Formats: sequence, C-alpha cells, structure tokens
Amino acid sequence: MRLLIPVLIAALGLHAQVPRGSEVQERRLANGARLLLVERRGPSAFQATLVFQGGRAEETTATAGATDLLARTLYGATWPEDLEAGKAQAGLDALLKQEEGLLESLRLERLRLRRDPTTTSHLSSLEANLGAVQTRLTALFSASPLADLYTARGGRQWAEATADALVAQTELPQEAFELWCRTEAQRLRSLQLSRFAQARATLAAELRTKGVQGLALLCGAALPGHPYGRDLADFLPSLEALRWSDLRSYAHRSLRPDRLTIILIGSLSLETALPLVERHLGTLPLPPDGEEAVLPEIPADLGDRKVQASIEDARRLLTGWRIPPRRHADHLALRMAAQLLAGGKSSRLQTRLQRQKALVQRIDLNLDVPGGRFPGLLVIDLKPSDGHSLAEIDAALHSEILRLQQEPIPQEEWQRALAQLEADHLRAGDEPTVLARSLGMAWAEGGDWRLMDLDIQRLRALAPETVQAAARAWLTPSHRTKVLLEPTPGASQDPVEKELTRVLKALAAIRIQDPAQREQLVLEGIRQLRMLSPEERLRTLKLLETQLPPEKP
Amino acid sequence: MRALVLAGLVLVLPLQAQPRVQSFILPNGLRVLHLEDHEHPLVRARLLLRIEPGDTPQGHQGLPQLMLRMLGHSETADLKAEDLDRILEESGIQLVPSLIPEGLSWRLVARSRDQDRALGLLADRVLRTVFNPTVLDAQRLALARGLEEQEDPPLDRLQQALLRDPTTAPTLQGLGAISLEDLLAFHARVFRPDRAVMVLHGDLGLEQAKRLMLLSLGSWSPQERPKPAGGSPEAGLAVPASPPVNRNRISAPGRGLRIQALAAEPGDLSREAACLLGLLIPGDANLLPVRVSLGEGHLMATLDSEPTSGPGAWSLLHGRLESFRQRGFTQADLDRARRAWLARRSLESLHPEAQMDSSLTEALGRGATEARLNALSLEQLNAGLRSWLDPARFRIGAVGDPDDLNLLPKP
Repeated sequence: MRLLIPVLIAALGLHAQVPRGSEVQERRLANGARLLLVERRGPSAFQATLVFQGGRAEETTATAGATDLLARTLYGATWPEDLEAGKAQAGLDALLKQEEGLLESLRLERLRLRRDPTTTSHLSSLEANLGAVQTRLTALFSASPLADLYTARGGRQWAEATADALVAQTELPQEAFELWCRTEAQRLRSLQLSRFAQARATLAAELRTKGVQGLALLCGAALPGHPYGRDLADFLPSLEALRWSDLRSYAHRSLRPDRLTIILIGSLSLETALPLVERHLGTLPLPPDGEEAVLPEIPADLGDRKVQASIEDARRLLTGWRIPPRRHADHLALRMAAQLLAGGKSSRLQTRLQRQKALVQRIDLNLDVPGGRFPGLLVIDLKPSDGHSLAEIDAALHSEILRLQQEPIPQEEWQRALAQLEADHLRAGDEPTVLARSLGMAWAEGGDWRLMDLDIQRLRALAPETVQAAARAWLTPSHRTKVLLEPTPGASQDPVEKELTRVLKALAAIRIQDPAQREQLVLEGIRQLRMLSPEERLRTLKLLETQLPPEKP
Repeated sequence: MRALVLAGLVLVLPLQAQPRVQSFILPNGLRVLHLEDHEHPLVRARLLLRIEPGDTPQGHQGLPQLMLRMLGHSETADLKAEDLDRILEESGIQLVPSLIPEGLSWRLVARSRDQDRALGLLADRVLRTVFNPTVLDAQRLALARGLEEQEDPPLDRLQQALLRDPTTAPTLQGLGAISLEDLLAFHARVFRPDRAVMVLHGDLGLEQAKRLMLLSLGSWSPQERPKPAGGSPEAGLAVPASPPVNRNRISAPGRGLRIQALAAEPGDLSREAACLLGLLIPGDANLLPVRVSLGEGHLMATLDSEPTSGPGAWSLLHGRLESFRQRGFTQADLDRARRAWLARRSLESLHPEAQMDSSLTEALGRGATEARLNALSLEQLNAGLRSWLDPARFRIGAVGDPDDLNLLPKP
C-alpha cells in the first residue's frame, strides 16, 4: 500500500513530461468500420469525426460535386425529419421524388427553350407545380436552427469535402454520446438528403460567383485527365443534372462502413464507447462490393508546362511540381524540402525573395494539392512586389530550387525546420479538431492513421542528402507547371491603370495610324508601366497627361 | 490517515486535467489568469492590451494597425526583427499578433520546456521595440498599399471592404498624418501593465506561472516610453493617393452576382442577448435563400443570386431580413436557446484556446452569465434582434458582372 502513494505522486508529476504519440486505441467493427479512440481526462464534451475515404477524386464526371453536396445535405445539419423512419419518411420520400421530377422537367424545358426559343414554353406551369410541391415540403421541414438535434443539445457540426475524403465533425456534451451513436447510424441508414434541391442551388450559385481560380487552372494544366485536375466550376451542367436519387445512390455506394474511420476524442473509455459504437454504427449493412474506380496515371515527368491567363487584377506566379503520393518513400523528404523553402519567416524564400531582395509581397507553399492519396502537386504561389515582373520572380524561384538541390543544407537551418515540424505535430495533438482531422487524413491519404506519428519519427531520422536527392528527382522542369496571372491591359479595375490605358490610347491615336500597331503599343506600354511602383505610376500618369492636347471647350 | 491521503490523491488525479482559472496580479499591475493543464507538454499565452476610444487621436485612423506592423518589423533592444523571428522558429514557438475589437493581442504557443524563452521573446517584442523612422515609413507605405489592394479575389475584397469599420479603419489621410511622436505617445498610453491581461494555459503550475511572469514581464513599468532610434522624430508623411475606388461594388466580369450586408453587433446589446441571437439567427430557414453567418462582433448576410434575378436581389435580401426582424422570436425559442447555450459551454473543455477566450472575456467583464441569461426576457431578446437587424446599421456591397451590377438599384 505504501508503494501506491509514491506511484500516484509520480504519476502527477510525470504526466506532463510524456508526449503521448501512442495514445490512440484502435478497434475494427464487425462491418469493417474502424474506430480510433483518443482518451482525454477532463473534458465534459467529446469530439467525433467520421472520415469516409474516397472524396472528389472518386467522382465521375456525371457525379461531379457529389461529395460537396453530401457534406452539405447529409452532414450540414441534423434535422429530425431526416431521421424519422416509417410512415413519415415515406411521405417525405414521395414529395422529394415529385420535387426531383419537376426539377428535372424544368431543366430539360430550359434546355429546349435555349435551343429553340420560338417553341411554346411550359416553364410557368412547371414552376408553379414545383412551387406547390416545395411549399408542402417546407411545411414538413424544421425552420429554426434550434430544431437541429445537435444544436438543441449545445452541439455543433460541420463537414468538409476534400479530394480524398468526406470528413464530418461533431462536438457534443458528454451525455449526448449515445444519442450521437444512434443518430449517426440512422443518418446513414436513411440517407434522406431532404434539403438536396436547396443545397444544389446554393452550391451552383457559389461556383458561379467564385469564378475561375488560379489554383484550379494550375491543377487542370498539371494533372490533365485526372480527377485531381478537375475544377468543379467547369462541371456546372453535370451538377445541375445530378438528381436527388442519383446522390442517394452515390451515397449508398461510397459511404460504406468498410471505408469509414470513426475518431472519438474526449473523456470516453474504450469500455464505455465501444459497445455503443458497435451496437449502432457497427451494425450498418455492408453493401456488395462495387466496381473500383479506375483512375488514369499521369507520368510525373509530363514536361514543363506554362499557362498564361488573366483573372481580373491578379498578378501572381503559381508553380506546381508533380510529386508522389503520401505513401511514397520520397514524400517525407519533399515535406522537409517544403519546410526549408517556405515554412516560416526565416525560411529560404521568405528570407531571400521577400526580406532581402523584396521581389515578392507574399509567399504561399502547399503540399499535396489537391490531395495526397494519388500523385499531386507541391505548389508555390508568389505575388510579386511592385516594380518586379513575373519573369524576375520566376528566375529567383528557380535559383532557390537549384540551391536546395545542389548546395549543402546548413545544420542550423535543418534543425530549425525540424523544430517547427515537431512543434506543429505537438500542437496538432493538443487540439481535438486538428488531431482528428490529421489522423483521418493520414488514413484516407496514406492508408494508415499511424503516419501522423510515424512521419515525425521518420523526419527526425532523415538526412539532408535525402532531401536534396528528392528535390533533384521531383522539383525539376519536367515535373513542373507554371501559371502566370496578369491582368489584361485595359481590363484592369485599378483606377490608375484604367487612366493610364485611356491616356496611352489617346496619345497613340495621335501618332500611329495602324490600329493594330496602336493596340500593340498600348499593351506593351501598360506591361512596362506595371513594373513601376504605384507612386512612379502616378507620376508617369501625370507626365503623360501633360502631353495630351488640350480638350476643346 | 493513509486512506485519506490516498482518497485525496485519487481525487486530485482526474481534477488535475480540469483547468481551473486562478488569477494573480503582479506588483506592476499586470493581471494574470492561469489555467493549469498537463495533458500535453505545451504552454499557451495570450496577452491583451486594451485600447480605449480616446487612444487614437482624431484624424489618425490606422494608428493601432501601424503600431502592430511596427512591432513586427522593428528591432528590439537586443535583436533585429529577423533574428527574433529566427529564434522563435528555432524553438518551434508560435507567436501571432492581431488587432481584435478589444485591443492588441498576441497568441503564443510553445513547448513547456521553452516557456522561459518564449515569454522572454514576447516581452522583447512588445516592450523593448526600438522605433525607427525608416521602419515607420516603410510600414506606413505597406499598410497604405494594402488599403489600395486590388489583386485579391473579388469575393475576398468585398468581405474586407464590409468588415472595415469606417470609424476606426485606417485611411490614407490618417496614415499620412501619423508621426513617430504619435506612435511613441500611443505606446506610452496603451503599453502599460495595468492595461494588460495575460492568460496562461497549459503545462505549468501556479508558482511556476508567477515566477515566469515576474521574470519576463515583472520589470514592465507604466512609465516606460520607448526611445526613437536615431535623430529627432519625423513629422507625418503624405501617402500617395490614387483616384477613389468604390470598394463596396466590385466588378468581376463573367461571375455570378453576390450581395452582402454586414451588421456590427450593437454596442448596447447585452452579452446574453448576443449569445442567444447567435444561436437563433444563422441557419434559420425563413431567411433562405439568404445565408447568415456570425463573425467576431458582427453578422453577415449573403445572397448568391441566380443570373436572371439580379435586379431584385437587394429587395430580396432586405425583405428576408426585415420580415425576420419584424417576426421576432417566441418564448419557446428563447427557452430552447437558453438550454442550448448552457449545454454548449461544455464544448469549451475540448479546446484550450476556447478556454482562454472564455477566461479573458470574463476578466474583461464581457462574459455571459447563467443568472443574467435566465433573467433575459423575450422583449429584451426581440429588442436586441430589431436593433441588430436595423437596416440603418447595415454596410452593404455587391460583386459580380458589370452588367448585373449596373442593373442593381443604388442601395
């Protein structure tokens, strides 16, 4: 007995010294779902995360957007009417089928009218019918956010569609754990998706508003033909043709228990949590195996690619290198390379390109874009400083890549990068939302949740030469795609540039007869003037204005 | 006796993980809140320096923002700015400064073994800055360019434009008027231990926390006024001005139309009413297709319009908000919101940063309490709703194809 006291006292003191990487307990459920439990002492709430492997990468062109819609309709909220079984559900199903039919008829009617505007339109009658059905549906739907089962109990939930997974996270008070188990099982059994029409319309509107993005251009050019290279904004017609029943079928196929990892974090022991999880989520039926999606393989050395584009006033250089997936031996070395290049204010690009040479205003580096399960991209996004061209920053970036490949990495710099990665890892373990997501994505991308811890151990054992070898193998021109974004001269929203274009056009009109030559001169003039700082541009504008002939009264 | 000791220890084990707020005040007046949590070998610190309405003189909008930039780019008594960044990164210490409605804030996370160094570096950055006129000019210009920024994606630009509080947001004129002397005076007014609250969380005991605070910030005195580096303070400089731009109507050719309305939280709204409205408004189906989200001290209503319905978009958005405002809530809504809010407090126990937020809010006297929540009447709740969604409070803007924007009536 006397021994027990020192042991308990020791436990109190020592607890803080142990970074517990191996605190995750794993169990497999009868239907193949995986449970990861991280026991915490103290919280009076729990965090529950469901990770379904698959994600956008497994969508076909006909089901493009399905993962995003599931994140919104299935996991955006927890409405009681979506979980009711029996007669009520049958009534709701019937109305949702009617709504689906009318939405599809409307879509076809609009297409028909677009092809032949002279034919008789049935739009108004179809819209009236749809309105009537939606009024009946709305009467069945909960309106108040507090009708949501989780919100009413103090909980919150959110979901995210990624390239490799659908991730749904929930936080609830401890006493709601059984409710959570029951609700999640019921959600997957019924797959009601009652707010489908609304979610699809919102997503389509958001995509139209968002417009073309530089990163989407880069992915499309660097990963052609692969779902990783797909921009959902290009698939709006498919999205608008996707029906409620299509999405339900997709959900049945893709949200399978054997592709599900459940991550629980909180004051839950395996003894108390497992039986409830088994009883509810462990009894979800396992549908028969479907066909495995066959994805094209893109050779990493596809050749150096370059895209020039104008997206409003953006002036940026995006460079992406095709890199191997997360489970590849070189992946970790590339992660370290990324850290050395742009991980923090004292990293190479921040120090040389931003602080010393003042070539760029902003540097962003992202690894595994858009995902890490298949070969993806390491992307460096540079925003030039005023007075510097994209060509200049491109050359400077290339020099830094060569330096990384060829020159020895100083020990001090190596240790700094490693310390930051270790600290990131430790912080991730302290924040349940991040921890659950990191474990889930390690499994979804790399096939093993242990990668979250293993990666950090392997990083400590990594040699600088290995990183350089990986940089030489992967960060090469043959693996590279560049997107150069510059506003079209004259189309800029920048008031100074608008004014400069006007003045240059007026001056050119006086001196040059040939309109093509005139246009060329103005375009080139604007390109040159962009190299100046804003103050110099203003001064130049004023100077040019003095050369304009006086306006006639 | 032995049984008692054992029972005590067994009780202490689970309790140890429950962070309990303890507070102390340093001799210089710095108030410290301490939450002990040994779950991970990490220490978090949050330093808040309160800014009061009179701290920014008339015509000097942007002074706090410029101060924050200066602190991030200036030398300290012993270190160059880049050396300080490098030392932070060598130890994996995260230090994030920000300007929040209450004042200037620094969030710090470090391994517990690096806590002395981390707090020492925080003190260096906040208290021992050397104010240099050259850095002031560079940072003033950088901040001014940020105001003129046209290169961010249009949706981000609209959001930024709406989030700018016209009464406090930096202006080119305001930035141009700020001299080094103004910065030093601001520093002397605001950077005082009796204006500050420090929250410590994590793997350190109370005694350790006291020692750490005395060591790093114990010598901070209210009289300290930083010395400018080299020469006499510069007078304010003019910032080059470009032709004016309408930041709330952003042309984005080919894109769908988005209109947004931002309403800042009314100053006289009680914390309890604000908390409950935060649960009752976002996600209400009666607002659809308008979506409402809550941010730091504001709510934002967004409508992504169908291509053909642009002209009616303003009236749709205003109509939805106005009918929601007029309808108000019922007693049942209030009761449900109360229960949900009380239950939601337990979620804080999952997140160290949320625990720190909560302690800080309480320390500032801005926390909601159960007693006041229960005393809140339906009339008060609905009055709060009417005040928050008052159309006169909205800052509105739109982004979209120029053709669609032209069809919109002037708001």
